Amino acid sequence: MLLPVAITDLAAPALATLALMACATLIGIPSVRKLITVYEAKHELRHGSTGWLRSIAGWSIIVFWLMATWFCATIIGDWAVTGDLDGAISRSMLRLRILLEIAVALMDSD
Amino acid sequence: MASPVVQSELQCPNCAGQCVYDSAQQALSCVSCGSVSRLETPEDAAAANEFPYDIDAAGPEPMIAFDAVVHRCETCGGSVTFVAKSLSTRCSYCDGPVVVDTSDDGYEPRSLIPFRITETDAQARAQAWVDARMAAPSDLSGVVAQARVAGIYVPFWTFDSREAIRYWAKYRIRRNKRTVVRSTQGAFDMQFDDMLIPASPHVTPLIRDGILHDFVPERLRPYRAGYLAGFAAEQHHQTVAEGLEMKAVEKALLIRNRIKRHINKSGVHNIRYHTDTTGLHYRRILLPVYILHYTYQGKAKKVVVCGIEGRAYGERPFSPLKLAGYAAVLSAVAVVIGLIWGATGLL
Repeated sequence: MLLPVAITDLAAPALATLALMACATLIGIPSVRKLITVYEAKHELRHGSTGWLRSIAGWSIIVFWLMATWFCATIIGDWAVTGDLDGAISRSMLRLRILLEIAVALMDSD
Repeated sequence: MASPVVQSELQCPNCAGQCVYDSAQQALSCVSCGSVSRLETPEDAAAANEFPYDIDAAGPEPMIAFDAVVHRCETCGGSVTFVAKSLSTRCSYCDGPVVVDTSDDGYEPRSLIPFRITETDAQARAQAWVDARMAAPSDLSGVVAQARVAGIYVPFWTFDSREAIRYWAKYRIRRNKRTVVRSTQGAFDMQFDDMLIPASPHVTPLIRDGILHDFVPERLRPYRAGYLAGFAAEQHHQTVAEGLEMKAVEKALLIRNRIKRHINKSGVHNIRYHTDTTGLHYRRILLPVYILHYTYQGKAKKVVVCGIEGRAYGERPFSPLKLAGYAAVLSAVAVVIGLIWGATGLL
Protein backbone atom coordinates (compact mmCIF):
# COMPACT_ATOMS: atom_id res chain seq x y z
CA MET A 1 0.00 0.00 0.00
CA LEU A 2 3.05 2.28 -0.02
CA LEU A 3 3.04 2.87 -3.77
CA PRO A 4 -0.29 4.79 -4.01
CA VAL A 5 0.78 7.03 -1.13
CA ALA A 6 4.08 7.79 -2.85
CA ILE A 7 2.31 8.61 -6.11
CA THR A 8 -0.11 10.91 -4.27
CA ASP A 9 2.79 12.66 -2.58
CA LEU A 10 4.47 13.20 -5.92
CA ALA A 11 1.37 14.52 -7.64
CA ALA A 12 1.77 18.10 -6.41
CA PRO A 13 5.52 18.35 -7.27
CA ALA A 14 4.80 16.78 -10.67
CA LEU A 15 2.08 19.32 -11.36
CA ALA A 16 4.40 22.09 -10.20
CA THR A 17 7.08 20.75 -12.56
CA LEU A 18 4.65 20.86 -15.48
CA ALA A 19 3.57 24.38 -14.56
CA LEU A 20 7.23 25.40 -14.28
CA MET A 21 7.96 23.88 -17.70
CA ALA A 22 5.04 25.79 -19.25
CA CYS A 23 6.00 29.10 -17.63
CA ALA A 24 9.70 28.67 -18.43
CA THR A 25 8.87 27.89 -22.06
CA LEU A 26 6.64 30.93 -22.40
CA ILE A 27 9.03 33.29 -20.63
CA GLY A 28 11.98 31.75 -22.49
CA ILE A 29 10.81 32.63 -26.01
CA PRO A 30 12.48 36.11 -26.03
CA SER A 31 15.57 34.55 -24.46
CA VAL A 32 15.81 31.93 -27.21
CA ARG A 33 15.42 34.67 -29.78
CA LYS A 34 18.26 36.55 -28.10
CA LEU A 35 20.33 33.36 -28.02
CA ILE A 36 19.92 32.93 -31.77
CA THR A 37 20.75 36.62 -32.34
CA VAL A 38 23.92 36.28 -30.26
CA TYR A 39 24.86 33.03 -32.03
CA GLU A 40 24.39 34.64 -35.44
CA ALA A 41 26.31 37.75 -34.35
CA LYS A 42 29.22 35.63 -33.12
CA HIS A 43 29.39 33.78 -36.43
CA GLU A 44 28.43 36.42 -38.95
CA LEU A 45 29.23 39.92 -37.71
CA ARG A 46 32.69 41.41 -37.70
CA HIS A 47 34.06 40.87 -34.20
CA GLY A 48 34.56 44.06 -32.22
CA SER A 49 32.36 46.12 -34.56
CA THR A 50 29.54 48.27 -33.25
CA GLY A 51 26.92 45.98 -34.81
CA TRP A 52 28.51 43.03 -33.03
CA LEU A 53 28.63 44.88 -29.70
CA ARG A 54 24.99 45.95 -29.99
CA SER A 55 23.86 42.45 -31.00
CA ILE A 56 25.51 40.59 -28.14
CA ALA A 57 24.52 43.19 -25.52
CA GLY A 58 21.82 41.79 -23.25
CA TRP A 59 22.97 38.17 -23.48
CA SER A 60 22.65 37.81 -19.70
CA ILE A 61 18.86 37.53 -20.07
CA ILE A 62 19.47 33.99 -21.41
CA VAL A 63 21.43 32.99 -18.30
CA PHE A 64 18.91 34.64 -15.94
CA TRP A 65 16.09 32.67 -17.54
CA LEU A 66 17.93 29.35 -17.26
CA MET A 67 19.12 30.08 -13.71
CA ALA A 68 15.61 31.02 -12.57
CA THR A 69 14.19 27.85 -14.12
CA TRP A 70 16.91 25.72 -12.56
CA PHE A 71 16.39 27.38 -9.15
CA CYS A 72 12.63 26.72 -9.12
CA ALA A 73 13.26 23.12 -10.22
CA THR A 74 15.69 22.55 -7.32
CA ILE A 75 12.95 23.51 -4.85
CA ILE A 76 10.51 21.13 -6.53
CA GLY A 77 13.12 18.34 -6.50
CA ASP A 78 13.76 18.87 -2.79
CA TRP A 79 10.00 19.03 -2.14
CA ALA A 80 9.38 15.80 -4.08
CA VAL A 81 11.94 13.89 -1.99
CA THR A 82 11.23 15.33 1.47
CA GLY A 83 7.54 16.17 1.06
CA ASP A 84 8.25 19.41 2.93
CA LEU A 85 7.72 22.47 0.72
CA ASP A 86 8.44 25.05 3.42
CA GLY A 87 11.67 23.28 4.31
CA ALA A 88 12.65 23.07 0.65
CA ILE A 89 12.13 26.82 0.24
CA SER A 90 14.18 27.53 3.39
CA ARG A 91 17.01 25.31 2.18
CA SER A 92 17.01 27.08 -1.20
CA MET A 93 17.85 30.48 0.31
CA LEU A 94 21.61 29.85 0.27
CA ARG A 95 21.31 28.77 -3.36
CA LEU A 96 19.36 31.96 -4.10
CA ARG A 97 22.05 34.12 -2.53
CA ILE A 98 24.74 32.48 -4.65
CA LEU A 99 22.58 32.85 -7.75
CA LEU A 100 22.05 36.55 -7.04
CA GLU A 101 25.80 37.00 -6.67
CA ILE A 102 26.31 35.30 -10.04
CA ALA A 103 23.53 37.41 -11.55
CA VAL A 104 25.14 40.66 -10.40
CA ALA A 105 28.50 39.54 -11.80
CA LEU A 106 26.86 38.62 -15.11
CA MET A 107 25.04 41.95 -15.32
CA ASP A 108 28.34 43.72 -14.77
CA SER A 109 30.02 41.86 -17.60
CA ASP A 110 27.08 42.11 -20.03
CA MET B 1 26.27 71.44 -64.86
CA ALA B 2 29.05 69.19 -63.73
CA SER B 3 28.66 65.57 -64.56
CA PRO B 4 30.83 62.56 -63.92
CA VAL B 5 28.99 60.55 -66.54
CA VAL B 6 30.73 60.14 -69.86
CA GLN B 7 28.30 58.36 -72.12
CA SER B 8 30.90 57.69 -74.82
CA GLU B 9 32.76 55.48 -72.38
CA LEU B 10 29.73 53.25 -72.36
CA GLN B 11 29.68 52.83 -76.13
CA CYS B 12 31.32 49.76 -77.56
CA PRO B 13 34.44 50.74 -79.59
CA ASN B 14 33.63 47.93 -82.07
CA CYS B 15 29.90 48.24 -82.78
CA ALA B 16 28.87 51.42 -80.86
CA GLY B 17 26.49 49.29 -78.86
CA GLN B 18 25.70 49.76 -75.17
CA CYS B 19 28.23 48.45 -72.66
CA VAL B 20 27.53 47.36 -69.09
CA TYR B 21 29.97 46.43 -66.34
CA ASP B 22 30.49 42.68 -66.17
CA SER B 23 31.45 41.74 -62.62
CA ALA B 24 32.60 38.25 -63.67
CA GLN B 25 35.11 39.67 -66.17
CA GLN B 26 35.81 42.83 -64.15
CA ALA B 27 35.44 44.85 -67.34
CA LEU B 28 32.93 46.59 -69.57
CA SER B 29 31.10 44.16 -71.81
CA CYS B 30 29.09 45.08 -74.91
CA VAL B 31 25.51 43.80 -74.74
CA SER B 32 25.43 43.61 -78.57
CA CYS B 33 28.72 42.09 -79.74
CA GLY B 34 30.10 40.85 -76.42
CA SER B 35 33.46 42.56 -76.79
CA VAL B 36 35.23 43.36 -73.55
CA SER B 37 37.10 46.57 -72.71
CA ARG B 38 39.19 47.00 -69.59
CA LEU B 39 38.72 50.02 -67.36
CA GLU B 40 42.03 49.98 -65.52
CA THR B 41 44.32 52.99 -65.90
CA PRO B 42 47.81 53.73 -64.57
CA GLU B 43 46.24 56.29 -62.23
CA ASP B 44 44.04 53.75 -60.46
CA ALA B 45 46.29 53.61 -57.40
CA ALA B 46 45.38 57.22 -56.64
CA ALA B 47 41.81 56.11 -55.94
CA ALA B 48 42.89 54.93 -52.49
CA ASN B 49 44.12 58.40 -51.53
CA GLU B 50 42.64 59.92 -48.42
CA PHE B 51 41.78 63.56 -47.91
CA PRO B 52 42.59 65.56 -44.80
CA TYR B 53 39.76 67.33 -43.03
CA ASP B 54 40.09 70.16 -40.58
CA ILE B 55 36.91 70.61 -38.57
CA ASP B 56 37.77 74.21 -37.68
CA ALA B 57 38.81 75.31 -41.17
CA ALA B 58 36.20 73.43 -43.21
CA GLY B 59 34.18 75.52 -45.66
CA PRO B 60 31.07 74.66 -47.67
CA GLU B 61 31.51 71.80 -50.11
CA PRO B 62 30.45 72.23 -53.73
CA MET B 63 27.57 70.05 -54.88
CA ILE B 64 27.28 68.68 -58.40
CA ALA B 65 24.29 67.56 -60.42
CA PHE B 66 24.55 64.00 -61.67
CA ASP B 67 23.43 63.83 -65.26
CA ALA B 68 21.81 60.45 -65.17
CA VAL B 69 18.44 58.76 -64.92
CA VAL B 70 17.34 59.33 -61.35
CA HIS B 71 14.71 57.20 -59.66
CA ARG B 72 13.13 58.78 -56.63
CA CYS B 73 11.26 56.38 -54.39
CA GLU B 74 7.82 57.49 -53.25
CA THR B 75 7.92 55.09 -50.32
CA CYS B 76 11.28 55.52 -48.57
CA GLY B 77 12.44 58.76 -50.20
CA GLY B 78 15.62 57.18 -51.49
CA SER B 79 17.03 58.24 -54.82
CA VAL B 80 19.21 56.09 -57.04
CA THR B 81 20.85 57.01 -60.29
CA PHE B 82 21.29 54.81 -63.31
CA VAL B 83 24.14 55.29 -65.72
CA ALA B 84 23.16 53.90 -69.11
CA LYS B 85 19.87 52.03 -69.10
CA SER B 86 17.83 51.69 -65.95
CA LEU B 87 17.11 48.13 -65.01
CA SER B 88 14.21 48.54 -62.65
CA THR B 89 11.17 50.65 -62.03
CA ARG B 90 11.22 49.73 -58.34
CA CYS B 91 13.33 51.24 -55.56
CA SER B 92 16.52 49.28 -54.99
CA TYR B 93 16.21 49.83 -51.24
CA CYS B 94 12.58 49.20 -50.38
CA ASP B 95 11.08 47.87 -53.62
CA GLY B 96 8.58 50.74 -53.60
CA PRO B 97 7.42 52.48 -56.78
CA VAL B 98 9.73 55.19 -58.16
CA VAL B 99 9.33 58.29 -60.26
CA VAL B 100 11.93 59.19 -62.88
CA ASP B 101 13.79 62.47 -62.54
CA THR B 102 16.52 63.99 -64.68
CA SER B 103 19.14 65.05 -62.19
CA ASP B 104 20.33 64.44 -58.66
CA ASP B 105 22.34 66.96 -56.67
CA GLY B 106 25.01 65.50 -54.46
CA TYR B 107 28.71 65.29 -53.69
CA GLU B 108 30.99 63.56 -56.11
CA PRO B 109 32.43 60.32 -54.77
CA ARG B 110 36.17 60.02 -55.26
CA SER B 111 36.34 56.30 -55.76
CA LEU B 112 34.49 53.01 -55.67
CA ILE B 113 35.10 49.31 -55.45
CA PRO B 114 33.59 47.60 -58.51
CA PHE B 115 31.30 44.59 -58.27
CA ARG B 116 33.20 41.30 -58.12
CA ILE B 117 30.27 39.00 -57.41
CA THR B 118 27.79 38.21 -60.17
CA GLU B 119 24.05 38.61 -59.71
CA THR B 120 23.52 34.84 -59.97
CA ASP B 121 26.08 34.21 -57.25
CA ALA B 122 24.57 36.93 -55.05
CA GLN B 123 21.12 35.39 -55.45
CA ALA B 124 22.47 31.99 -54.36
CA ARG B 125 24.29 33.50 -51.37
CA ALA B 126 21.20 35.41 -50.22
CA GLN B 127 19.17 32.22 -50.50
CA ALA B 128 21.81 30.23 -48.61
CA TRP B 129 21.84 32.83 -45.84
CA VAL B 130 18.09 32.61 -45.43
CA ASP B 131 18.13 28.80 -45.55
CA ALA B 132 20.69 28.72 -42.74
CA ARG B 133 18.52 30.74 -40.32
CA MET B 134 17.64 28.96 -37.08
CA ALA B 135 13.99 29.05 -35.99
CA ALA B 136 12.92 30.57 -39.29
CA PRO B 137 9.40 29.90 -40.62
CA SER B 138 9.31 26.79 -42.80
CA ASP B 139 7.93 28.63 -45.81
CA LEU B 140 10.52 31.44 -45.67
CA SER B 141 12.90 29.74 -48.08
CA GLY B 142 10.18 29.52 -50.76
CA VAL B 143 9.19 33.15 -50.27
CA VAL B 144 12.78 34.35 -50.68
CA ALA B 145 13.33 32.09 -53.70
CA GLN B 146 10.72 34.12 -55.58
CA ALA B 147 12.51 37.42 -54.92
CA ARG B 148 15.39 38.75 -57.00
CA VAL B 149 18.53 40.62 -56.02
CA ALA B 150 19.35 44.08 -57.43
CA GLY B 151 22.87 45.48 -57.60
CA ILE B 152 23.43 48.96 -56.23
CA TYR B 153 26.39 51.12 -55.30
CA VAL B 154 25.85 52.48 -51.80
CA PRO B 155 27.60 55.62 -50.51
CA PHE B 156 30.07 55.11 -47.65
CA TRP B 157 32.68 57.10 -45.82
CA THR B 158 36.01 55.89 -44.62
CA PHE B 159 37.46 57.88 -41.75
CA ASP B 160 40.90 57.78 -40.18
CA SER B 161 41.63 59.50 -36.91
CA ARG B 162 43.86 59.36 -33.87
CA GLU B 163 42.14 59.76 -30.53
CA ALA B 164 43.93 60.78 -27.35
CA ILE B 165 41.43 59.60 -24.74
CA ARG B 166 41.29 60.52 -21.07
CA TYR B 167 38.58 58.80 -19.04
CA TRP B 168 37.00 58.68 -15.60
CA ALA B 169 34.84 55.76 -14.45
CA LYS B 170 33.62 53.77 -11.46
CA TYR B 171 33.67 50.04 -10.84
CA ARG B 172 32.34 47.66 -8.19
CA ILE B 173 34.37 45.22 -6.13
CA ARG B 174 33.42 42.79 -3.33
CA ARG B 175 35.05 43.45 0.05
CA ASN B 176 34.04 41.33 3.07
CA LYS B 177 30.63 40.39 1.62
CA ARG B 178 29.96 44.04 0.74
CA THR B 179 29.98 45.73 -2.63
CA VAL B 180 32.29 48.74 -2.73
CA VAL B 181 32.33 51.32 -5.52
CA ARG B 182 35.74 52.60 -6.52
CA SER B 183 36.72 55.41 -8.90
CA THR B 184 39.37 55.12 -11.54
CA GLN B 185 40.81 57.18 -14.36
CA GLY B 186 43.27 56.66 -17.12
CA ALA B 187 44.44 57.63 -20.58
CA PHE B 188 45.31 55.86 -23.81
CA ASP B 189 45.55 56.50 -27.52
CA MET B 190 43.27 54.88 -30.03
CA GLN B 191 43.60 54.78 -33.79
CA PHE B 192 40.72 54.44 -36.22
CA ASP B 193 41.86 53.27 -39.63
CA ASP B 194 39.46 53.10 -42.56
CA MET B 195 36.39 53.16 -40.32
CA LEU B 196 33.50 52.49 -42.67
CA ILE B 197 30.42 54.63 -42.06
CA PRO B 198 27.30 54.23 -44.23
CA ALA B 199 26.35 57.52 -45.88
CA SER B 200 22.91 56.16 -46.68
CA PRO B 201 20.06 55.70 -44.23
CA HIS B 202 19.16 52.50 -46.08
CA VAL B 203 22.23 50.53 -45.01
CA THR B 204 22.44 50.21 -41.25
CA PRO B 205 25.69 49.74 -39.32
CA LEU B 206 24.44 46.24 -38.45
CA ILE B 207 24.16 45.24 -42.10
CA ARG B 208 27.56 46.84 -42.77
CA ASP B 209 29.13 44.72 -40.03
CA GLY B 210 27.46 41.63 -41.46
CA ILE B 211 28.63 42.02 -45.04
CA LEU B 212 31.83 44.08 -44.91
CA HIS B 213 34.40 42.35 -42.73
CA ASP B 214 37.55 43.42 -44.53
CA PHE B 215 38.02 46.69 -46.32
CA VAL B 216 40.94 46.63 -48.75
CA PRO B 217 41.69 50.19 -50.00
CA GLU B 218 43.81 48.77 -52.83
CA ARG B 219 40.58 47.57 -54.44
CA LEU B 220 39.34 51.14 -54.84
CA ARG B 221 39.07 52.47 -58.38
CA PRO B 222 38.47 56.03 -59.56
CA TYR B 223 34.82 56.98 -59.85
CA ARG B 224 33.98 56.33 -63.50
CA ALA B 225 30.74 55.84 -65.36
CA GLY B 226 31.94 52.53 -66.76
CA TYR B 227 31.91 50.84 -63.35
CA LEU B 228 28.35 52.00 -62.74
CA ALA B 229 26.96 50.89 -66.10
CA GLY B 230 24.20 48.37 -65.53
CA PHE B 231 23.90 49.04 -61.82
CA ALA B 232 21.97 51.52 -59.71
CA ALA B 233 23.89 53.94 -57.54
CA GLU B 234 22.88 56.16 -54.67
CA GLN B 235 24.89 59.33 -54.68
CA HIS B 236 26.48 61.01 -51.69
CA HIS B 237 24.14 63.55 -50.16
CA GLN B 238 25.96 64.10 -46.86
CA THR B 239 28.58 66.73 -46.12
CA VAL B 240 31.77 65.57 -44.39
CA ALA B 241 30.49 67.19 -41.19
CA GLU B 242 27.30 65.10 -41.41
CA GLY B 243 29.41 62.01 -42.01
CA LEU B 244 31.45 62.81 -38.93
CA GLU B 245 28.24 63.04 -36.88
CA MET B 246 27.40 59.49 -37.99
CA LYS B 247 30.93 58.43 -37.13
CA ALA B 248 30.69 60.01 -33.67
CA VAL B 249 27.87 57.64 -32.68
CA GLU B 250 29.89 54.59 -33.74
CA LYS B 251 33.10 55.95 -32.26
CA ALA B 252 31.49 56.58 -28.86
CA LEU B 253 30.43 52.93 -28.52
CA LEU B 254 33.87 51.65 -29.54
CA ILE B 255 35.65 54.05 -27.17
CA ARG B 256 33.41 53.04 -24.23
CA ASN B 257 34.07 49.38 -24.98
CA ARG B 258 37.80 50.05 -25.16
CA ILE B 259 37.70 51.95 -21.83
CA LYS B 260 36.02 48.94 -20.17
CA ARG B 261 38.76 46.68 -21.49
CA HIS B 262 41.42 49.19 -20.42
CA ILE B 263 40.07 49.25 -16.84
CA ASN B 264 39.77 45.44 -16.98
CA LYS B 265 37.49 45.14 -13.94
CA SER B 266 33.91 44.01 -13.56
CA GLY B 267 31.06 46.37 -12.81
CA VAL B 268 32.50 49.33 -14.72
CA HIS B 269 29.91 52.10 -14.93
CA ASN B 270 29.47 55.85 -15.02
CA ILE B 271 32.07 56.22 -17.77
CA ARG B 272 33.03 59.74 -18.80
CA TYR B 273 35.75 60.58 -21.26
CA HIS B 274 37.32 63.33 -23.28
CA THR B 275 39.02 62.74 -26.60
CA ASP B 276 41.29 64.92 -28.69
CA THR B 277 40.90 64.00 -32.32
CA THR B 278 43.79 64.55 -34.72
CA GLY B 279 44.85 63.28 -38.13
CA LEU B 280 41.34 63.25 -39.53
CA HIS B 281 41.23 61.89 -43.08
CA TYR B 282 38.30 60.74 -45.14
CA ARG B 283 37.27 59.12 -48.38
CA ARG B 284 33.90 59.55 -50.07
CA ILE B 285 33.35 56.21 -51.76
CA LEU B 286 30.74 53.88 -53.23
CA LEU B 287 30.60 50.20 -52.32
CA PRO B 288 28.73 47.52 -54.26
CA VAL B 289 25.93 45.52 -52.69
CA TYR B 290 23.09 43.36 -53.91
CA ILE B 291 19.78 43.83 -52.12
CA LEU B 292 17.05 41.21 -52.11
CA HIS B 293 13.59 42.36 -51.00
CA TYR B 294 10.92 40.06 -49.75
CA THR B 295 7.70 40.43 -47.87
CA TYR B 296 6.78 38.01 -45.12
CA GLN B 297 3.35 38.26 -43.50
CA GLY B 298 2.97 41.81 -44.73
CA LYS B 299 6.33 42.98 -43.43
CA ALA B 300 9.01 44.15 -45.89
CA LYS B 301 12.45 42.72 -45.23
CA LYS B 302 15.74 42.65 -47.05
CA VAL B 303 18.85 40.54 -47.37
CA VAL B 304 22.02 42.34 -48.43
CA VAL B 305 24.94 40.62 -50.16
CA CYS B 306 28.35 42.26 -50.37
CA GLY B 307 29.26 42.76 -54.03
CA ILE B 308 32.95 42.35 -53.22
CA GLU B 309 33.25 39.19 -51.14
CA GLY B 310 29.72 37.83 -51.20
CA ARG B 311 28.94 37.87 -47.48
CA ALA B 312 25.21 38.00 -46.83
CA TYR B 313 23.30 39.50 -43.92
CA GLY B 314 19.86 40.87 -43.48
CA GLU B 315 16.49 40.88 -41.81
CA ARG B 316 14.66 37.69 -41.00
CA PRO B 317 11.44 36.65 -39.31
CA PHE B 318 11.22 34.06 -36.52
CA SER B 319 8.75 31.22 -36.21
CA PRO B 320 7.03 31.57 -32.79
CA LEU B 321 6.36 27.83 -32.71
CA LYS B 322 10.00 26.93 -33.35
CA LEU B 323 11.14 29.48 -30.75
CA ALA B 324 8.74 27.88 -28.26
CA GLY B 325 10.11 24.45 -29.20
CA TYR B 326 13.69 25.50 -28.54
CA ALA B 327 12.59 27.21 -25.30
CA ALA B 328 10.80 24.02 -24.20
CA VAL B 329 13.90 21.88 -24.84
CA LEU B 330 16.20 24.25 -22.93
CA SER B 331 13.66 24.62 -20.13
CA ALA B 332 13.39 20.84 -19.86
CA VAL B 333 17.15 20.51 -19.54
CA ALA B 334 17.26 23.20 -16.81
CA VAL B 335 14.29 21.61 -15.00
CA VAL B 336 15.76 18.07 -15.07
CA ILE B 337 19.14 19.27 -13.77
CA GLY B 338 17.35 21.35 -11.12
CA LEU B 339 15.13 18.43 -10.02
CA ILE B 340 18.13 16.11 -9.65
CA TRP B 341 20.07 18.83 -7.85
CA GLY B 342 17.22 19.49 -5.40
CA ALA B 343 16.44 15.79 -4.92
CA THR B 344 20.03 14.89 -4.09
CA GLY B 345 20.21 17.70 -1.52
CA LEU B 346 23.20 19.46 -3.05
CA LEU B 347 23.89 22.89 -1.56
